[in-house]
Amino acid sequence: MKMATVYVWFLVLGSVVLCNLVKMLLPSISSYLSKVFQKNVEDEVEMRAVIQAMKKELSSINMMDEFARYARLERKINKMTDKLKTYVKSRTGQQTKIKWVVNIVYYILQAVLMISLIWKYYADPVTVLPSKWISPLERMVAFPSGVAGGVGITCWLVVCNKVVAIILQAVA
Amino acid sequence: MQCPDDTSLNTPEEKTCLSSAQRRAEIRRRKLLMNSEDRMNRIVGFTKAEAENNGASRSVTAPMFHLDLDRSDSWSTYPSPRLSPFLPEAVGSSHPHSDLPERRGYPLPDTSEVLGGGVDEDVTPGVRQRPRGEAQLTADEPSRSGSPRRGLQKYLSRFDDAMKLRGQLANEKQAQDAAGSDPDELDSFRLFRLVGSVLLAVFVRVFVCKYLSIFAPFLTLELAYMGLYKYFPKVEKKMQTTVLTAALLLSGIPAEVINRSMDTYRKMGDVFADLCVYFFTFILSHEILLLVGPEETETP
Repeated sequence: MKMATVYVWFLVLGSVVLCNLVKMLLPSISSYLSKVFQKNVEDEVEMRAVIQAMKKELSSINMMDEFARYARLERKINKMTDKLKTYVKSRTGQQTKIKWVVNIVYYILQAVLMISLIWKYYADPVTVLPSKWISPLERMVAFPSGVAGGVGITCWLVVCNKVVAIILQAVA
Repeated sequence: MQCPDDTSLNTPEEKTCLSSAQRRAEIRRRKLLMNSEDRMNRIVGFTKAEAENNGASRSVTAPMFHLDLDRSDSWSTYPSPRLSPFLPEAVGSSHPHSDLPERRGYPLPDTSEVLGGGVDEDVTPGVRQRPRGEAQLTADEPSRSGSPRRGLQKYLSRFDDAMKLRGQLANEKQAQDAAGSDPDELDSFRLFRLVGSVLLAVFVRVFVCKYLSIFAPFLTLELAYMGLYKYFPKVEKKMQTTVLTAALLLSGIPAEVINRSMDTYRKMGDVFADLCVYFFTFILSHEILLLVGPEETETP
């Protein structure tokens, strides 16, 4: 128990680092999940190939000589293109939904983690220093633990968030 | 008095007549060159003081938001087409060429030649009519000062700003999405600040913290940074037109005030970042010393 109390600062720091790393990976997670949940990917590829082939055929037909055939083929291309557009639109919408869901889940989990840490350690400072070292801000730094010379969990969370963000920005 | 052509000049009276006409044309040309902006403002309906104030504010805001540049350029060089109909009514000059400088508000290069070589009778009435026109304009000014014209102009200028801001926002968002870059990049000075904070925190933990508060050296460091700032290459930070700045701009807050506020906010953010790094390093070094310290005492 004492060991757990002694290393609270490390636990909070680790949590913040983990949250920020997961935040950086969110786009990759979203794209992976959208690939997993996406159905009929081959249909889209096939449609694109068919449209390409039809366009190639259309370019070989002379409009003056074979107008009927040209017009028929053009109508087919337009119909297929509209179908593809609808398909792409629904796929993009699905990707956006998945991205939103992933982001919301992440923010909820992050909030739960932070609130649980604060709830558990609100009375215990993450570390204790001689109070004259951190004067005149000792009350603000110690909030909400109220221990003289202590560093409160909220202050430590804010500091860790800022530092980890700066480090990740420099690395990225 | 009609002056003969140059080719038929023989008598001194004729020469004097031409030179006086030339002189009058030169005087008129100088008068057109001077105070062209005042005349334009009077035509448009702005008083002199308002024009000066607008000019001052436009010149200050122009470098930061290039939204106002077009407006300031348009006011200074090109007259508004909406306001030119008032001028022919006021001046009523018969000479077609003499109308041009009156209407445009800035002199044409060959105005003097046109006016000097032209009929003297046509020129003189133009000179006589101008003061009347200007008098009419000045007489109409008080009634126009509180007119809805200014409100309409203000509305139109705000609308232009809104459209430009909208375009700018869209472009910036696209550029940011494409580039994927963070606007708060670590430039050399920022890196220097962070490294300095880390080093000072370690030094303070090892040598200084027993004697005074840890925040005193930090404040000294920040003061030193303020002095050292000028020795570092200035990175021109692109002003981000966010929705907040756009809303503030459209609500009537001058762009200069917004820029200064954003600048102050950015500096406060830098100081806060330094403080966080400093405090974090201090606590980390304290914990490491606590960890290492007892282990050293344990080992023989």
